[in-house]
Amino acid sequence: MSDHASTDYPANWGGGVSPLKVSYGKMFMWFFLISDALTFSAFLSAYGFMRHKFAGYWPEPSKVFHHFPFVTKELPLAYVGLMTFILIMSSVTMVLAVEAGHRKDKKSVMIWMLLTIVGGFAFVGSQAWEWFHFITGTEQGAWKDVIVDGKLVHKIVHGANLTFNEYGNSLFGAFFFFITGFHGFHVFSGVLINITIFIMVARGVMEKRGHYEMVEKVGLYWHFVDLVWVFVFTFFYLL
Amino acid sequence: MEFHDDFPQYEFRDQHGEAEGKIQRKRLWRVFWYMLGITIFELALGSYAASKGFNKTALICIFISLTIVKAYFIVYSFMHLGHEVKSMKWIIIGPYTTFILYLVFMATVTEGNYSAIHKVSPPDKAYAKPTEAETKKAEAEENEEHAPATTTKSAEGAKHE
Repeated sequence: MSDHASTDYPANWGGGVSPLKVSYGKMFMWFFLISDALTFSAFLSAYGFMRHKFAGYWPEPSKVFHHFPFVTKELPLAYVGLMTFILIMSSVTMVLAVEAGHRKDKKSVMIWMLLTIVGGFAFVGSQAWEWFHFITGTEQGAWKDVIVDGKLVHKIVHGANLTFNEYGNSLFGAFFFFITGFHGFHVFSGVLINITIFIMVARGVMEKRGHYEMVEKVGLYWHFVDLVWVFVFTFFYLL
Repeated sequence: MEFHDDFPQYEFRDQHGEAEGKIQRKRLWRVFWYMLGITIFELALGSYAASKGFNKTALICIFISLTIVKAYFIVYSFMHLGHEVKSMKWIIIGPYTTFILYLVFMATVTEGNYSAIHKVSPPDKAYAKPTEAETKKAEAEENEEHAPATTTKSAEGAKHE
């Protein structure tokens, strides 16, 4: 890795030097990821603020998200744990694709990228399942004040949407949809970018270029999505 | 100089052979097992705390520090930031640290006590399942000012008056 002398460093930019010893594309991917982190931390800190404000009737996520496929028993947050596992797993396959790219091993890059794409789809599908359960809600429901045709009505509601939420404050539902939705959309676009790069690798574009930097750049994005999920997992679900 | 795809901007110093690859793969899988272990521990602790009870402050501190450990693994190992030059590391880590500190601040303390002062207490009626008589009474009183102030309710009340 470090056995090349820095004098014949070939990654120079247009100006003939390479600031920070990093390629132009990778550096600006990092800068994009910083600005993206700003959005996510705004969401999560707004969530923390509202949770304090409505502390009295803010729902506990472990009591809301306890469903698991094919299991009738309540398993608090087990499904979210499974989703985290899927995302960490796909992060590992992505970094293995990057590593294979460093060895210019086209076949391994393709295998690991394909597994990453499968993992991404699995995660998005899991999120759809969780949204479905959150929106449908429990069978017995809860009494809530709901506005129907401009009038306030006290009635039983099931599940949650942007106007009411059977588990507690309706803001909780709004934050759930926005935070996990925004993250899920990132995963979805990540899958699309992965597919694009996968096709490029398969067609031998990277081989012709002599390097697999595009895999590395999309890898940075993919790991960022994983990084955000680690924070969403703690600050939204666990705390 | 033009900017197009074939321009040799890539860092060839990152390319390596089979032997080095083997070492790196081993290291990456080790990081994966660490992260999996941490996640399982967090879930176990969470469900233990939900059923048996646990010091809330300690729980928050443990969760936040484990999250930061996981974030460190992702950024340093998976995203290769550990191998960049020092100034590049700080350019990236600096803003991230700012965001994370604010996030931790929001999660642990109330901002300047603002949200504690303006705390909204729960409306009792929204929780308990009311009896039939209560429901009827509530219906009769619908247009009167009886409601505990939820945000939706006070907004709606203002519209009616």
